[in-house]
Amino acid sequence: MSFLEIFQYTRQDSIIHRLDPRSKLFLTLVCAIISLLFLDIIPLLIIFASLLPLLAAAKSLRRWAKSMKGLLVLLVFIMVFNTLLSTGPYPFSYSVSLTLRLVALMTSFSLFFLTVHPDELSQALIQMRVRFEFAFAMSMAMRYVPTLGHEAYAIMDAQRSRGVELDKGNFVQRVRNIIPIIVPLIIVSIRRALSIAESMESRGFGASENRTYMERLQFRRRDWSLVIVSLGVLVTVLYLRFIVGLPDLFLWNIGF
Amino acid sequence: MIILEDVEYSYDGIYTALRGVTLQVDRGESVAIMGTNGAGKTTLIKHFNGLLRPQAGNVFLEGKDTSQMSVAEMAKIVGLVFQNPDHQLFLESCKKEIAFGLKNLGFTQEEAEERCDQTLSRLGLEGFAERSPFALSGGERKRVALASVLATEPDVLALDEPTIGQDARQKESLARMLMEMNKKGRTVIVVTHDIEFVIEHFPRTIAMSDGQIVADGDTSSVLTHEEVLERCSLTLPQMTQAAKALRHRFDNVSDRLASLSDIESIATTLLEGA
Amino acid sequence: MALVKFDDFSYKYYGADSLALKKINLTIDNGEYVVITGPSGCGKTTLCRAINGLVPRFHRGYIAGHVYVDEKDTREHEVAHFAAIAGLVFQNPENQLVTLNVEKEIAFGPENLGVNPVEVRRRVEEIIDLLDLEHLRDKHPHEMSGGEQQRVAMAATLALNPQILVADEPTSNLDPKSAEKILEIISTLNKRGMTVVLVEHRLDLVAKEATRVVLMDRGRIVADGTPTEVLVADICQDIGVGIPKATEIYKRLNAKGLRLGSVPLTGEELALLIQEGTV
Ligand SMILES: Nc1ncnc2c1ncn2[C@@H]1O[C@H](COP(=O)(O)OP(=O)(O)OP(=O)(O)O)[C@@H](O)[C@H]1O
Ligand SMILES: Nc1ncnc2c1ncn2[C@@H]1O[C@H](COP(=O)(O)OP(=O)(O)OP(=O)(O)O)[C@@H](O)[C@H]1O
Ligand SMILES: [Mg+2]
Ligand SMILES: [Mg+2]
Repeated sequence: MSFLEIFQYTRQDSIIHRLDPRSKLFLTLVCAIISLLFLDIIPLLIIFASLLPLLAAAKSLRRWAKSMKGLLVLLVFIMVFNTLLSTGPYPFSYSVSLTLRLVALMTSFSLFFLTVHPDELSQALIQMRVRFEFAFAMSMAMRYVPTLGHEAYAIMDAQRSRGVELDKGNFVQRVRNIIPIIVPLIIVSIRRALSIAESMESRGFGASENRTYMERLQFRRRDWSLVIVSLGVLVTVLYLRFIVGLPDLFLWNIGF
Repeated sequence: MIILEDVEYSYDGIYTALRGVTLQVDRGESVAIMGTNGAGKTTLIKHFNGLLRPQAGNVFLEGKDTSQMSVAEMAKIVGLVFQNPDHQLFLESCKKEIAFGLKNLGFTQEEAEERCDQTLSRLGLEGFAERSPFALSGGERKRVALASVLATEPDVLALDEPTIGQDARQKESLARMLMEMNKKGRTVIVVTHDIEFVIEHFPRTIAMSDGQIVADGDTSSVLTHEEVLERCSLTLPQMTQAAKALRHRFDNVSDRLASLSDIESIATTLLEGA
Repeated sequence: MALVKFDDFSYKYYGADSLALKKINLTIDNGEYVVITGPSGCGKTTLCRAINGLVPRFHRGYIAGHVYVDEKDTREHEVAHFAAIAGLVFQNPENQLVTLNVEKEIAFGPENLGVNPVEVRRRVEEIIDLLDLEHLRDKHPHEMSGGEQQRVAMAATLALNPQILVADEPTSNLDPKSAEKILEIISTLNKRGMTVVLVEHRLDLVAKEATRVVLMDRGRIVADGTPTEVLVADICQDIGVGIPKATEIYKRLNAKGLRLGSVPLTGEELALLIQEGTV
């Protein structure tokens, strides 16, 4: 399950964590858009390389790397699959760039989800005038990633404690071990969701049209700076990509 | 036999839960672990079957270092009941829940069925076999969780708060079951806040506070030690309170842990004498 | 009219074979401190759920009769509507925590009710202080011990400032000192006017503060009176409910023809009565 952690909030105290979620959302979207503009190895590598310092600033590089390692198998699989299926002139080169783009996209969103507390997200959405129920649902969904992880671990612990061997065995066996937890996981999660809903209603969720908020998010100068810089980067890249065009060096490919 | 040597554990490397715990529980003992909320009791007993691994120190089970043993291997020896039954129950009927552990330990279908029925009825759950563990009362759920482990009669029983949600009668039948297993040579370890349950059934008590063992020894001495009670957030049970209050007036009343019958006989003598 | 009124109320969970509540008639007035007790599975939790309408609005099932809370029929109003009147602390400490840290958890209820943010902040700080939760402030519900979760759950409900506090075994995971402390807080709040309905198996902890004990068995109310009245009745033993040891001594002495001046509920009371009996 560790690969899910790439999108899971981690409590840290960093410059990035302290930014307003809205400015971070903007940054993430800009990174994502830029990643989608290119399908060549060099520009994608540059994008990827420029995301890493941001992750480092968020003190989340190690966590990210750990989850990426968990995803390695999947990435290699995608790469092989694409190479075999691709009909273009340079199938391998093409599939490397596709994979790179995927990694860059994931990293952009990971930067957001790693550093935004689900409650902050719902608060941000609310202040962006999204209805509370929806915003809350969004943050519940986000929270579900870690909860589901917890739940899965809990069931595995319950099974191991009663004699199911989950710690040993080769890769195939370990994957097979996941199957018996799927059904219980669904049942247990639904039950849990129901109890949480029960508790929420009992504490007045949806009782008043005028829900209040103990804390409101504030867009500070650093948030504006981030938005302006991101916007600047986006415009420059768009200009380079569509008006100037990339120099040949940037269009290099592996050659097969 | 379980031995822990200087075991340390912290969650996520920040929240320290155990700071150097050393203890030994011999085969056939029955031990209670008590202490302040957040003292690390649950963290401690999760080390007994390997769900948590010491970050420093060692855990030995039956003389063997457990660092290379899997949870499943340790589970053959140690049966663990979780504090919250939600963390334990995941199947759609009570019967399946109880049969699960039995099957993993190699019991045949018939044996499993027999033990399942037997355990259910001893824990006051007759007729619950086909019911979903999710549609039960809190106390019933806890008993199903207990049944799922007690049915396998493991060498070591490690029970986290087994009396939560139980009325006096259920507590009594649970105690009886535990003591029977103990007589047959099983080791019984419970984590509990229920002082009277401990006094009545457990000769040895380990008191914890803030990730450490504060006292370990005879229940009657641990639970009358003022400083231990203070540090581990424990209070005196009613009968001992009464004995204490009476001692100020009558010097023939002793200050050890008093049982119901102790106080009854003291009161009878005093009142009849008057 | 009474704050809570059960009027011939019966209820059966969807899919269950028997009734969880059978023809319950019960009125609870403002300012009472009612302890509900009875064998495991007798319907205590179900009764609590009926007080804010979770039964039958959230838990589907067969119903007969009515429950009125603050003169409103619970069949006709949403559960959330009763949040400001009846605050429920659930039996399972973990499942009732809905946000991601303790501070937000406590704020959740008052925010829902539209309490002004400054006041919400004030309540949060007050309750963190009252229940000793400072060291848990930023912790996630999954990252706490059972007892810690239970304290937070109590905090979150008290933050609603409910007229009636309905607490379902709120001390089951607490160490004896914390349990004492929470019960002390509840009893102080009761003296300041909050009505309390508390489910508890360990009567030695709660009997001395309660104004009334309701004993249930198999979905029915089988005894209802002051703590001393109910606890000396033989029915407690018959259905397997534990009474305080001090009260037990009283009964045993009584059987031998030795009478104490009144019914003791705590060890100290017992000692005092024995002393009085010997002079
Ligand atoms: N998953 C977790 N992540 C972080 N901290 C945790 C986690 N689980 C427990 N803790 C912390 O570790 C400490 C010990 O917890 P533990 O559950 O062992 O206590 P306990 O003695 O069983 O308490 P209780 O009597 O309340 O059940 C507590 O301070 C708790 O907050
Ligand atoms: N969701 C459910 N579906 C079906 N039956 C249920 C459900 N919840 C509880 N019951 C049954 O209803 C009866 C009353 O349950 P309730 O939870 O009210 O008991 P309780 O007095 O609170 O018990 P405990 O002290 O064990 O918590 C029990 O027989 C139980 O098995
Ligand atoms: Mg615990
Ligand atoms: Mg209950």
